[in-house]
Amino acid sequence: MPYGYTGKVLHVNLTKGELEIEEPDEKFYRTYMGGSAMGLHYVLKETPAGVDPFSPDNVLALCTGVLTGTPVSGQSRLTSVAKSPLTGCIGDAQGGGYFPAEMKFSGFDAVIIKGKSPKPVYLWMHHGEAELRDAGHLWGLTTGDAEDKLKEELDDKRIEVLQIGPAGENLVRFSALISMSNRANGRTGMGAVMGSKNLKAVVVRGKMKPAVSNPEKFKEIQKLAKVNLEPTGMDGFGKYGTPGVTTPQHKAGGLPTYNFNSGNFDKHEEIDGLKLYNEHLRGHEKDDQNRFGRDTCFSCSIKCKRVAQIDEGPFKTDAKYGGPEYETLATFGSYCGISDMDAIIHANALCNMYGMDTISCGATIAWAMECWEEGKITAEDTGGIELQYGNAEAMAKITEMIANREGFGEILAEGSKKAAEIIGRGTEDYLITSKGQEAPAHMPQVKRSLSVIYAANPFGADHESSEHDPGYKAYPERMKEIGLTNPQEKLALNKEMMRFAMITQHLSSAVDSLSVCAFVFGASFQLYSPEELVKTVNAVMGWDVDMKEILEVGERRLNMLRAFNSREGVGRESDTLPKKMFKRPLEGGRSDGYVLDEGEWEVALEDYYRLCDWDVETGHPSLRKMESLGLGWVVAENEALSHAIT
Amino acid sequence: MGPLVDYLPDSDRGKTALKLNDESTIADMLQKLQIKRKVVVAVNGDEEKGLDHVLIDGDEVLVFSIISGG
Ligand code: SF4
Repeated sequence: MPYGYTGKVLHVNLTKGELEIEEPDEKFYRTYMGGSAMGLHYVLKETPAGVDPFSPDNVLALCTGVLTGTPVSGQSRLTSVAKSPLTGCIGDAQGGGYFPAEMKFSGFDAVIIKGKSPKPVYLWMHHGEAELRDAGHLWGLTTGDAEDKLKEELDDKRIEVLQIGPAGENLVRFSALISMSNRANGRTGMGAVMGSKNLKAVVVRGKMKPAVSNPEKFKEIQKLAKVNLEPTGMDGFGKYGTPGVTTPQHKAGGLPTYNFNSGNFDKHEEIDGLKLYNEHLRGHEKDDQNRFGRDTCFSCSIKCKRVAQIDEGPFKTDAKYGGPEYETLATFGSYCGISDMDAIIHANALCNMYGMDTISCGATIAWAMECWEEGKITAEDTGGIELQYGNAEAMAKITEMIANREGFGEILAEGSKKAAEIIGRGTEDYLITSKGQEAPAHMPQVKRSLSVIYAANPFGADHESSEHDPGYKAYPERMKEIGLTNPQEKLALNKEMMRFAMITQHLSSAVDSLSVCAFVFGASFQLYSPEELVKTVNAVMGWDVDMKEILEVGERRLNMLRAFNSREGVGRESDTLPKKMFKRPLEGGRSDGYVLDEGEWEVALEDYYRLCDWDVETGHPSLRKMESLGLGWVVAENEALSHAIT
Repeated sequence: MGPLVDYLPDSDRGKTALKLNDESTIADMLQKLQIKRKVVVAVNGDEEKGLDHVLIDGDEVLVFSIISGG
């Protein structure tokens, strides 16, 4: 029996209702390691060029990594990959919880889904077996209700469910995959892809625990979690969760406010982690939030997830839908000028209940609000809903209308970029998208290397694809482990910062392929350093990988993402930032007046391409680079690519 | 601020006025607060000062952990 992985990949053809098990060899696992890279392998092989994201020919890959299910912090993550209906580029989204580990225990490393079922079904994987079952009775249900029904019908409370909600069924372009009713594979619309296939859920259960090659060394890694907890500050991170960064972000001038026009939100204390912990988490009345108001993922000692509950009033919210992350507090909060914590908790729950990405949803509403303020969208468009900044009731109402594609929600369900195309009237000037994906809550004007990553990242603006600028100076020992020894001044956008962006992007890409948590393994604040990640892989797998090999897995994944886009005819022209980031200086606070210089930025982008060995004219990876990463087959097997990649 | 408020239990949301000896450095201040973890310190909005920077009366000092993510 292999270590770490199960050695089984399940292929599902929903059109034919056929299931097949593939057993890849060890070389395959060592090349891709799981998660994103593994999913891309199948998506590149099995989708035709130019595939419509909603056609049966789109392939949705759900992949764990070689560490998933071994009892160490941060390993229970699953990556979903398919062509994105939001961006028309490659889509990629990670999520945690208990589902990923349980899927491994059910006897499978990954599921590759193609076709379209003639009627709603769910996939039931348990104890090494799998079958498709009717889901007619689940279609239309919210995630919480569907999960309850499944537990009842399978007569097992310990099943784990990864599913779409009504938003995914309605093909909302930023709908998510949801597990535990509160964890999301949020970004790039993977829920809509699953919805287009008439697949309501994947349900897993099993006891097939993965084997560990070197239990002694593995135990050392487990013990290290306790040792590292305080010096890394991850104990505080666990207590206050990601919302703990809200106030520091504001102080640094980097809390996106009023649809990214400012980095300064006067009411930041109303929506920060301290307030959430003290006044809103379940159990706060008895000062018992640590027991009732926090949650975790399988075997993680950080426990950073929030659980909030509102018993009455217009924003009544069930604790089963979790609590908001920093990103959500920002997108539904400061982006929209909203400081009503109850309203944000409620909007977060609505997204989990209907299955939507809180970043794209909140940011799309913020865009509509700016358009309203500028007189570009009026009551005639919205059906009478007033969308001025700060209107919490309208924000919650619109969120629900988007999920149901009702009224004005029908247009916003397309995502802000497509909505701007539909509405016209210059509304595109207020977009904050890259490749059609709404920007997350870290500001490129303040963290400059992120500006290039937001633009060049193959699946659109993303904050988890590289380390952020301040990390270079603050964590010299860890940066040294990945060859970064020359930190630059704040706001620098030069060659060295592009090296920082690319190398940390390779590490993040490896993290997303091993499918581990970006708060647990990384080169800055995380619980474990890059070298400790290498040790963990070797302890579990019995391999002898080094830092170079891990970074190469990441580089391989990045180039696979990029090659997918090249195949779809997407290159340098798509590597852009929202206009306002170059044209409109930020207003107020620490970042008052900050704006990106377009000339300087273009030079940095070209430096980044050269470092990546991508063509400066077209933005496509070079054939030399593809071949050096063992990806010659990608070009050879795709007619369209042999013209783009030379 | 942020998750570090627990080091100042009696403060107003992590904000307080500290009395330090003359010639105290950032390192002295962190020691007084018993902060051993990795933090970033900004003095009057400037994050580029080192641990041996000497603080003067009236300086506004922000202490935070750098956590990027969401
Ligand atoms: S750090 Fe948080 S998100 Fe990551 S594995 Fe642990 S509990 Fe889950």
